[in-house]
Amino acid sequence: MIQQSTLRQAIDQAIVRGATWISEDVLAALEKAQSIETNPSSKKGLDQTIRSLYLSRDRQVPACPDTGWPLFFFKIGNEALLEGGLTALKTLTQEAVAAATARGILRRTMKHPLTGYDPGNNIGENIPWITTQFVPGDEIQVTYAAKGGGSEVFGGAQSRMVAFADGLTGIRKFIIDAYTAATRAGAICPPSILGVGIGGTANISADLAKEAACLRLIGSRHPEAAFHELEVTLKDAINQLGIGTMGAGGKTSVLAVHVEYAYTHIAGISVSISSNCFVARRGTCCVHADNTLEVRENPNWFGGR
Amino acid sequence: MAIYDLKAPFRDEDICALRIGDQVTLTGEAFTCRSKLQRTVFDENKKLPDRYRPIRTLIHTGPIVNVYQDRYELVSFMPTSSVRFEKWGARSVREWNLQVIVGKTTMGPDTMAAMKAYHCVHLSPQSVSPNLWLDSIRILGVNWFDEMGSIEAPWLLELNRLGPFVVDIDTEGNNLFDEMDLHVQENKLNVYKSLGIPEDFKPTKLH
Repeated sequence: MIQQSTLRQAIDQAIVRGATWISEDVLAALEKAQSIETNPSSKKGLDQTIRSLYLSRDRQVPACPDTGWPLFFFKIGNEALLEGGLTALKTLTQEAVAAATARGILRRTMKHPLTGYDPGNNIGENIPWITTQFVPGDEIQVTYAAKGGGSEVFGGAQSRMVAFADGLTGIRKFIIDAYTAATRAGAICPPSILGVGIGGTANISADLAKEAACLRLIGSRHPEAAFHELEVTLKDAINQLGIGTMGAGGKTSVLAVHVEYAYTHIAGISVSISSNCFVARRGTCCVHADNTLEVRENPNWFGGR
Repeated sequence: MAIYDLKAPFRDEDICALRIGDQVTLTGEAFTCRSKLQRTVFDENKKLPDRYRPIRTLIHTGPIVNVYQDRYELVSFMPTSSVRFEKWGARSVREWNLQVIVGKTTMGPDTMAAMKAYHCVHLSPQSVSPNLWLDSIRILGVNWFDEMGSIEAPWLLELNRLGPFVVDIDTEGNNLFDEMDLHVQENKLNVYKSLGIPEDFKPTKLH
């Protein structure tokens, strides 16, 4: 049986990595972008950002003061047994977020939406937010993704219902227009990881887009040819826009485009984008059935990507 | 494009000499601001403490600060989006006598007009590199900490060559990102073409 104290350690590790650590795939993409950049502002901006990210790892301090909405993604093994039952996920994540906030690993970011009241510990109604999926096996894996305000509030998260009459043309146009508007003046900290959700209800496509942006590794590809082609053509197209690092102009305007989809109603196609800033952070830790911990680079949220 | 090391108090002519695209580092006192400070002062008519009055550099930021009994520890610092404070931007420039605003995403037309009239520039970061900036910032103190909390309270800072930041709004009313956007919009037409999106394509209105 998995002990609550062990799972709490896993959540703590996921938060620390998710706030301070940049995964290898993101660092590699930033270093590649820096090496090919010819715009001096963007090249310098990428260079400074990479240097700062290495310092965050060494000093174990936040990579950006905006440590985001506290979002947790659990993969729960079908045979996994948690001491006290799965309702403990809520209390354990709350306790871990409060402790990380007190240590300065997380900023006191969460407020009451009407009064602006600051609880001081990032805990409140429906926050932290937990997403779960059930998988074969007997382990529990937790991922913390720091979804920052910059990437979410200033146009990086948008949805639109597209008519079947408009099809792929309508989908592509919405994505290009939405991303272009969101990156003006570096609003969403480009070059982003752009997640796209297609199909389902509005909230389904929005969830798929967010998970595609935050949980897939750069370099991963959708296994279906039509969606992989969409990922490649959108990435190539956006990188022709000249947005660059923080909107300063340059060759790399998006680090990756990840598309996920759901079947949809014949009435229309919900399309959502969700952008993760170029300081893209996620931390994943797994508790095995024997209560050992394993830090993982890849959340493997979409079964193989 | 030139690089300037600006040291407070700034001379008016030095601020007016700055042009969009110039790089700037800042030395001297500054204070931090988010919407709670502006709402308190401008909407609730509470007086900005006298200690802040001579300071003419405002930084839009929400830092992480660890508070100990005898000291403050700045853990992380990054300029944050200015456009959300547009509602109070012009009054801030005018009534706080600002010469420099540091923040992300530039600002809107009302603030730009005030910046032109009262000689103030807006500076933006070109990277997300808080760890390179921490050594350039010393916390001098804070007011309204209990009321506003550590992100929104106005921290008094001593800057030592903080930057470099780029001038994105100058005192002539120019906006660097408006100019950048013209290029991006031009490129977008080519992107439409490469994706097979007709120039006259109009999405079907569903509601």
